[in-house]
Amino acid sequence: MLAAQALNALDANDSQLLEAHLEDCADCRSQLSDLQNTAAYLAFAAIVAKPLEPAADVRARILQVVRSGSPGSNVIPLDQKRPRTWTSAQAWGAIAAGFVFVVLGASLFVLWQQNRATRIELNRVKQQVQEAQTERDKLQEAFALMTAPGTRMTELAGTSAMPGAHATLAFDKNGRAILMAKGLPAPPEGKAYQLWFIAGGRPMPGKVFVTDASGAGMLNDQIPAEALNAAVFAVTLEPKGGVQQPTGAMYLKSS
Amino acid sequence: MQPEQAQITDIDLLHSVARRDEQALASLYDRYRVILFGLLMRILNSREEAEDVLQEVFLQVWRRAGDFDEQRGRPFTWLVTLARSRAIDRLRLLGARQRVVESAAASTVAAVSDAVTDTLHSEQREIVQRALAELPEEQKRTLLLAYFEGLTQSEIAARLGTPLGTVKTRMRSGLLKLRELLATQMMSLR
Repeated sequence: MLAAQALNALDANDSQLLEAHLEDCADCRSQLSDLQNTAAYLAFAAIVAKPLEPAADVRARILQVVRSGSPGSNVIPLDQKRPRTWTSAQAWGAIAAGFVFVVLGASLFVLWQQNRATRIELNRVKQQVQEAQTERDKLQEAFALMTAPGTRMTELAGTSAMPGAHATLAFDKNGRAILMAKGLPAPPEGKAYQLWFIAGGRPMPGKVFVTDASGAGMLNDQIPAEALNAAVFAVTLEPKGGVQQPTGAMYLKSS
Repeated sequence: MQPEQAQITDIDLLHSVARRDEQALASLYDRYRVILFGLLMRILNSREEAEDVLQEVFLQVWRRAGDFDEQRGRPFTWLVTLARSRAIDRLRLLGARQRVVESAAASTVAAVSDAVTDTLHSEQREIVQRALAELPEEQKRTLLLAYFEGLTQSEIAARLGTPLGTVKTRMRSGLLKLRELLATQMMSLR
């Protein structure tokens, strides 16, 4: 990569990686510097026939810019006109032009702001539509699952820790499952509810979900094959990423 | 080599430029205008653009001479790198204009060659061109595409219809070989 970097030929990704490495590798930095010296010699390969001279006024232009003390402007016109005094018509013209410029600038700014507000609003609406679609997809999926022949339903009742909670778990013979819960308060920050499949006394972790302000929540999950028959389902409160073994209070449990 | 420059080194000149010495900038220009202009012509293939970029390069030298760090590289490398990156930026700005790389730009543009400057770099040119001639054709081609057209490795791979891995290998081998070939000969020119 060092050779390519010396030629500035690294693709952007590689170049970023290398830059990061160079920060703390003095050895590679010195190798790179060495290869850059070699690469610089390639400039001599540019001159294939006779060397060319730039026009003589390039030198003069450079020195003129440097002397004028404004090397910030890169290029100066070749024909520097002598200073002129303004006629009053030109002055009025300039003032009018300045005024138009200011008005245009202000209008542009207003338009820019409006455009920005519109875009923000548009993004918000888009997001809402997307959320509504996701919600609808979930409901359709739940409907399809619950109306499919052979789908089983299990009730989960609130435990003594959350007596007002209630949930229904619908699942088909392949283990595709949907949990619909009510009466579970929205979990505290950093926490989420997690579904468990308990078979033979061994809990297997399901996915996590949250509930909204009304206490309702929904979860699509896949029941492991060994838990499909004769399983107990439960919901506990866990860290929001989910855990492998239940640690928190149990709020819902099937009989 | 370059006997008339023996007293004042490039590093001295850059230090003077950093102290706002216009004469030092002029000397640096006189010393490197031909090689840098040649490089710019090769990349941009237009006298007008090349002269414009040459002016930009020396104005940038004027502004940034204070940034030059002799611990990190040689003045020649610094100047060439500056000129090349400006030229490639300009090339991209102009859009990928159709250019015939191998056909010498020199033949189509009036060569205002000057006997004195001609001798100035002739030895280095000869060494570099001889070294390049020793590289396998594909390695040389890969190096020149990167150097004079500013193409990245993937762009070269696409251009040549060669796998990216091959391009990487050729670029690496080519530059290392070139370094080896130039090492002894250029040392004597320093």
